Amino acid sequence: MTMTRSKWMTALPYVLILAVLALLPLSGNEYRALIGTRAAIYWVLIAGLNLVVGYAGQLAIGYVALFALGAYTASILAAGNVLPEVSPALALLAASGVGAVFGVVVGLPALRLRTFYFAMTTLGFATIVTQVALGWQDVTGGGIGLSGPSLPAPFDTAWGLYGLCVGLAMIATLITANVAHSRFGRALIATRDAEVAAEASGISKPALLVSVFLFAGAAAGLAGGLFAALQTYITPDAFTFDLSLLFFISILIGGRGSILGPLLGTIILTLLPEIAAPLAAWSTFVYAGLLLVIVLAMPGGIAALLNRENRKALPTGRVILPQQAALRSLLGEARRKQRLDLSGIVLRFGGLRAIDGLDLSVEPGEVHGLIGPNGSGKTTTLNVISGYYKPQEGRLTLGDSPLPAGLPVGRAARGICRTFQTPRIIGEETVLENVMVGGTLAGRATFVEALLSLPRARADERLIRERAVLALKAVGLDGLGDIRADRLQHSELRFLEIARGLMLHPRLVLLDEPAAGLSTIEIERLGALIKAISREGVAVLLVEHHADLIFDVCDRVTVLNLGRVLAHGTPAEIRVHKEVVSAYLGA
Amino acid sequence: MLYSILASGLAVGAVYALIGITYNTMFATSRVMSFTAGQLGMLGGVLGSMFILRLGLPLIVGLGATLLACAAIGVLTEFVAVRPVLKSLDQHLYVLSTLAFALLIQQVTAIEWSTEPQPFPRLFGIGDGVWDEKYWLPVATCAATIIGLEYLYRRTLIGRAFLAVAEDNFAARALGLPERNLRIASYALAAVVGGLAGFSGGELLLAFFANGPQLNFYGFIPVALGGLGNNRGAVIGGLALGLFQQAANFAVGGIFASVAVFVMFIAILLAAPQGLFGSSAARRV
Amino acid sequence: MLITRRTLALGTAAATSALALGRPALAANEPIRIGWLASLTGASSAPAIGFNRGVMFAADAINAAGGVKGRKIEIITRDTQGDPTKAVNATQELISQLKVDAIWGPTNSGESLATTAVMARSKTPNIHPCVVDSLIDTKKYPNAFRIAPANGQWDDAVRNYALKVIKVKKVAVIGDTTGYGVTAAKASAAAFQKDGADVVYVANIDATQPDMTPDMLRARNAGAEAIILWSVSTGMIARLLNTRGTMGWNVPFVGHPSLSSGEIASLVTAKENWANVYAIGYKSCSFDANGKLPPRSAEFVERLKGKVDLSDTLLWWVAGGYDAVNLVAKAVDATGSTSSEAIIGYWNSLKPYPGVFGDYTFSADQHNGYPTDEVVMSAANSAKDGSFTLAPGY
Repeated sequence: MTMTRSKWMTALPYVLILAVLALLPLSGNEYRALIGTRAAIYWVLIAGLNLVVGYAGQLAIGYVALFALGAYTASILAAGNVLPEVSPALALLAASGVGAVFGVVVGLPALRLRTFYFAMTTLGFATIVTQVALGWQDVTGGGIGLSGPSLPAPFDTAWGLYGLCVGLAMIATLITANVAHSRFGRALIATRDAEVAAEASGISKPALLVSVFLFAGAAAGLAGGLFAALQTYITPDAFTFDLSLLFFISILIGGRGSILGPLLGTIILTLLPEIAAPLAAWSTFVYAGLLLVIVLAMPGGIAALLNRENRKALPTGRVILPQQAALRSLLGEARRKQRLDLSGIVLRFGGLRAIDGLDLSVEPGEVHGLIGPNGSGKTTTLNVISGYYKPQEGRLTLGDSPLPAGLPVGRAARGICRTFQTPRIIGEETVLENVMVGGTLAGRATFVEALLSLPRARADERLIRERAVLALKAVGLDGLGDIRADRLQHSELRFLEIARGLMLHPRLVLLDEPAAGLSTIEIERLGALIKAISREGVAVLLVEHHADLIFDVCDRVTVLNLGRVLAHGTPAEIRVHKEVVSAYLGA
Repeated sequence: MLYSILASGLAVGAVYALIGITYNTMFATSRVMSFTAGQLGMLGGVLGSMFILRLGLPLIVGLGATLLACAAIGVLTEFVAVRPVLKSLDQHLYVLSTLAFALLIQQVTAIEWSTEPQPFPRLFGIGDGVWDEKYWLPVATCAATIIGLEYLYRRTLIGRAFLAVAEDNFAARALGLPERNLRIASYALAAVVGGLAGFSGGELLLAFFANGPQLNFYGFIPVALGGLGNNRGAVIGGLALGLFQQAANFAVGGIFASVAVFVMFIAILLAAPQGLFGSSAARRV
Repeated sequence: MLITRRTLALGTAAATSALALGRPALAANEPIRIGWLASLTGASSAPAIGFNRGVMFAADAINAAGGVKGRKIEIITRDTQGDPTKAVNATQELISQLKVDAIWGPTNSGESLATTAVMARSKTPNIHPCVVDSLIDTKKYPNAFRIAPANGQWDDAVRNYALKVIKVKKVAVIGDTTGYGVTAAKASAAAFQKDGADVVYVANIDATQPDMTPDMLRARNAGAEAIILWSVSTGMIARLLNTRGTMGWNVPFVGHPSLSSGEIASLVTAKENWANVYAIGYKSCSFDANGKLPPRSAEFVERLKGKVDLSDTLLWWVAGGYDAVNLVAKAVDATGSTSSEAIIGYWNSLKPYPGVFGDYTFSADQHNGYPTDEVVMSAANSAKDGSFTLAPGY
């Protein structure tokens, strides 16, 4: 009941916007049709771009390049300048296709460049496109430009085109919402806010970004084609830097990881200049002033203003109570057990030997402790196993097959999960969504299926959500699923990371100081949880400073010093090992 | 012909470099890329022309008044467009706030000054041909600025405090450095550098309200080429950009010159993602 | 319910607005609304700023004289900043929301290309001064009228002057990198070639390029005897002229009216740099041998005195803006109607209408109203209050 109500609350703003859009034709004022059509067209582009900027966090500020490409493609094909004339519908489709291809071209630098650098390359593409349009006169008409495609009836009137564009804008909203609420949407946010955790969950950023760039490019190309039809005539000077920034800042005003926010942002930015227009020469000044006021009034974007969920008080006096039964049903189904072997691992940073000939094996169903003083190479060993570092020598195997060195993304698929010294979580997402990121690999549906929310995609969602609820119960965070993760306490975040890892149905769990910052009682419960995980046949490698925890839960312990094994044995043996006692335990 | 390309290339390159330093200086203390950088360059030219040609002030007074006005704009930028959005840096809202502020500056200039380029006074009347002051002035100003900044950063207490804040904001605050005041000061300093760029390049670029976006655009490239925060990198990047751009103008003509510039720029960045002089990626895990 | 005066007033107001929505026959005292699409704050807004002075002067003059048949002229201005998208929005707003009776502008071709079809759809009477030839097409755009020369007329005047008056054989054609500059330079070069001239150098220069020496050297090395220039960028023009001065190469410049823009006076480093430059001009805005303007223009300038500043603009811009408003007023005055059929019908029947800028002649199948013989070349540096001396040879 409450679920449906909250769903209604989510849908309400969209319904209101739609109602206004549906009533607009009654005014009979074609100026309103034009502005409405323009906003709808911009939104078709921005909806796609939102996945790139708002979800993946890429500063793509030059999307007018793809918009212009779409506009020119549609116009040139419809006019028959190079190829035989095609129907306007086909021309729009082609614009979308060209947009998709160049979306990838414009986006690819994102795989190598960070923030501002990427931003500038997208702007570079924008300049290149308009200059080519200017110079290639035989095809594009150069400075004189060319006519846009004229759509067939009933789309040849102002209101007809309005209807078409609003319809397409609705579709754009729906399908981007589908992506946003699928494993792909969560994965995008994960690559934005917790890239390392995303990798550890098996999310391949290049593959993900290419899908999104294809989609955003297609949307931009289509929007460009529609723009050409709306303008009836295009010249290179229609594709200004200002327009490109309008696309980008609509999303900024809207807020990250939101669809409604950028939608409202688009509407506001399309309307503002019109409201200021009667001031003639001072209109742009007033427009800029209003923009500034908006930023100052809503420094978190529209989405932050809309998010009431976030202001509710958290339950007080919460305790972390892991539930064994949940853990069992989560990890219950048998999975082939495999043992981890490291032999002769050597890792040098320049002249420093961080790991110096390490041999280590972790058996399934065993908790293996890895201890040693600071700088002895514990976390470095975890990083070698999880592929962040590539050792110069040595072999890594899991079961019978070798683990390729230096490739972190493949680890999750092999059933290796890990936690981090500083928890890598997505603060702006809910606890449940954070855990669901760990289940990305469990999905079967493709990006296109997710886009259209086909049955397989919905089945994925259900499965991942069920497992995530189970995982939260298993680690004892039951009931916190709907809370934004950045509102949790530090100790809860450590359990959250374990829950995310368990989503992989792991064979090997790597824990990096999970007890740091936990209270005594929490450490006890953590110990029990770790033990319970291993008893399900999972190999656990535990790096920890907390001696009590190590000796309580470990079946075997390896002691490192200066990148080498100092001692190795059962906790009882280590406790009395002379060198360990003098060098490390200090007792 | 070669000398002419060299002279004009180095001259505009020096202006781009100075705008690059303006970006860097603002970025260092606030982690904000401010779109006002180019507008400050534009204002340097417009205000210089206004004070010296229209109001007839002597060179030194005119220069002082220009830089003072720019510094005031810089401080205002910090108050109006930067401080309010510092809390949510990852949302990149500063793009919006600084852009809006830049647009305000540009529109006021368009209406109150002129939408056509206006003359900038000949300052010294020294040199002609490729040795004309309009070519060497920006280069000399760029050299003087970089030397001045190096002196400031290495030899003075306030300069070192700047560096400390730039290096690690939180640590600097923990050390008791007046981080907020230093940020305001850095915006004033950046604005002075931007103003100098426009003033020294005034004879070349004229006092034209639309110079702002142009300078924003081409001023960022040296920042990217030289590595964010690296002033010496920006100077080398700026000069290289100026030379390449003027050579491209000559070789492929005006329409495709910017295409050549951006193809080159994207290629370089893909080869050296942190810029040519930037530091390599930080440790991730 | 008690009917108070307030509710009664509200009721009346509601009824009137309901009536207004139904578009009844226009009340006799309703203003004549003219939309004015001006690029006031974009780059190269000088023409629109000049036109604007004429527009406002005309509206004030007509209104001061009691309006047109008792109806005032109302000018509704929108700043389009040279951006076609803004221009389309503003056009539609003027037509559908503000229900203007006619539109004057936009003033540059890039915007006009986008707005012309919009106005044609609603058959809104439109006058504009944009030069691109394809903008006037009585079949596609029966509502659009041009009161300035088309590009072809400009081109003819320039070519005629270069080949027939100063008699050069080899020309260099230079444009800037804007849409207009690229297209105009290309068309001009083709026309020169067709007339048998030798086009030795064609270039499009980025208007912000700080030094024009390489291009000028190339033109000289190619043997150019005249430079044909197509650009509205006064900065670029001044740089080219200064470079010519430094090179000591006294090659004539012939081309776009912007060559004579008043801004150039302050941008050239020496007065001589602006000599031997010939810009497109108009007989109506040119001084004769005695330094006198044609009578109609002289009278107009007299009326402007003290009200409109001509020192930093061109007379033809002010005159064009003035004529545009008057053309609308005349149409309403003659037909007694502000319907688009009436206005367009009246314009279609204009046998030379004596404007200040020129005598306009329109017919149902000719909407290029500006007489070709009015287009002349003038000495670019001879501006006095926005008017020019004819170039030698006229």
